[in-house]
Amino acid sequence: MRPFTLSVFLLFLGGLAWALSLSGPAVREVQNVYYSSISPWVNQGDQARSFARSFVQEVEHSKDLKIKLDRALAEKDRLSLIASRVRELEDSNNELRRALGFKRATPFNVSGAQVVRRKPLTWAPSIEINRGARDGLGVSQTVVASNGGLIGRVYQPGDHLSSVVLATYEGSMVSARVEGTSEVGIVQGQRSNFGKAPGLSLRFLSRTARVRRGMKVFTDGRGKLFPPNILIGTIEDFETGPVDGTASITPSVNFENLKTVFVITGNPDAEQL
Amino acid sequence: MIAYHLFLILLLVLSCLFQQFIPPIAPWSDARILLVPLVVLCASVTVPPSGMLILAFLGGFLWDAQQAVVLSYGDSAVYREIPDSLGFGTSIILYGLMGLLMQGIRPLFQRGGWFASALLTGVAVFFYRWIEFLTLSFIRGGFSFHDDILRQILITSSLTMILAPLVFSMLFKVARICRYTITFDALKRRSRRPSVA
Repeated sequence: MRPFTLSVFLLFLGGLAWALSLSGPAVREVQNVYYSSISPWVNQGDQARSFARSFVQEVEHSKDLKIKLDRALAEKDRLSLIASRVRELEDSNNELRRALGFKRATPFNVSGAQVVRRKPLTWAPSIEINRGARDGLGVSQTVVASNGGLIGRVYQPGDHLSSVVLATYEGSMVSARVEGTSEVGIVQGQRSNFGKAPGLSLRFLSRTARVRRGMKVFTDGRGKLFPPNILIGTIEDFETGPVDGTASITPSVNFENLKTVFVITGNPDAEQL
Repeated sequence: MIAYHLFLILLLVLSCLFQQFIPPIAPWSDARILLVPLVVLCASVTVPPSGMLILAFLGGFLWDAQQAVVLSYGDSAVYREIPDSLGFGTSIILYGLMGLLMQGIRPLFQRGGWFASALLTGVAVFFYRWIEFLTLSFIRGGFSFHDDILRQILITSSLTMILAPLVFSMLFKVARICRYTITFDALKRRSRRPSVA
């Protein structure tokens, strides 16, 4: 081996040892620097992508209208187009109303955000939202949907964008309780098949737990990670193991169709946790 | 030579940026094009082992900065049995291994067999994803394997491999501009040219 190659190899090994020995906060610091550096370009790219998408839609609309005029069915098609747009607007309006209603009704201080990217990570289910540290977002803040259901938590707040790891991630843990019982446990994501709805499991229940299908599961606030009383899902089935019981949970949120989410930036119960 | 190596580093950083805009393809089991590994693999075969090691380190480091999930857990009395994940720096090892694989066929590549390197890019990405999945299963326990995972890894490596000729073509062009010799064939062609007296 040439001396230069050998020295580069030794440097590689040294760098590798350094990277492997980085602690959690140090890794987060590295990721902060990384995301802060790329966020201006990512923002520009997002804007360019939105512009391109709206341009393509505009072109498609123009083409459609021309064809429809040529076929002398303009009036009928125009009306159907209007009707479909009204439906779209209605859907959008309902979504916004739900969001606004949630923002007014929730006891938490929440910051609304739009999902700008889905599944940016290759192995962990996650989303990216268009709010960041400049909007008051911080590490481990809870993210909920407009129906009040738990989505996950912020793990990487950038300046303008933040990454949220979903509750369906296998490495995510949420301390939870089963409604109407004294049962508490830990909700974890399941390793799921692609194309199938992601599931959750509630572990560490007692073997004799009286839980039934349809019972609701809420966060219980233990461990100071999530505020209490956020709906996680409903019990699907319950299995007893040699030591404890595990329940499968159907999430209260459709993780495949997230558009508007809310980040709990201030929790009135935080002091009591 | 320095200019070419600097270009490779720039290309690597750009690929990290573009990777942000490559979405998973839902109907194909969430497969996606992995631009960063592609650039590292294609570039690895065009440089000597020392250059490959530098690229593997930078590529793995940037990839982990983008992909590693570091979650903090609250009270350890409540959150016991915290699930493990791939540690920061794991990708550096995997990129290094992939780079070694590419270096293995560098002699063939230097004789002009870039297509073999393009094919090997797909194979290397397949093994890279496969090892990642196996490592994750091993450290978390409960090995479970679905057809969808194999499909996802296969499609991801195939899509990535399809882009390899494009990257090679770009690297050849840049090498020519930077006067960096990638292949022996290029060296032969250059030596055949009549010298200007």
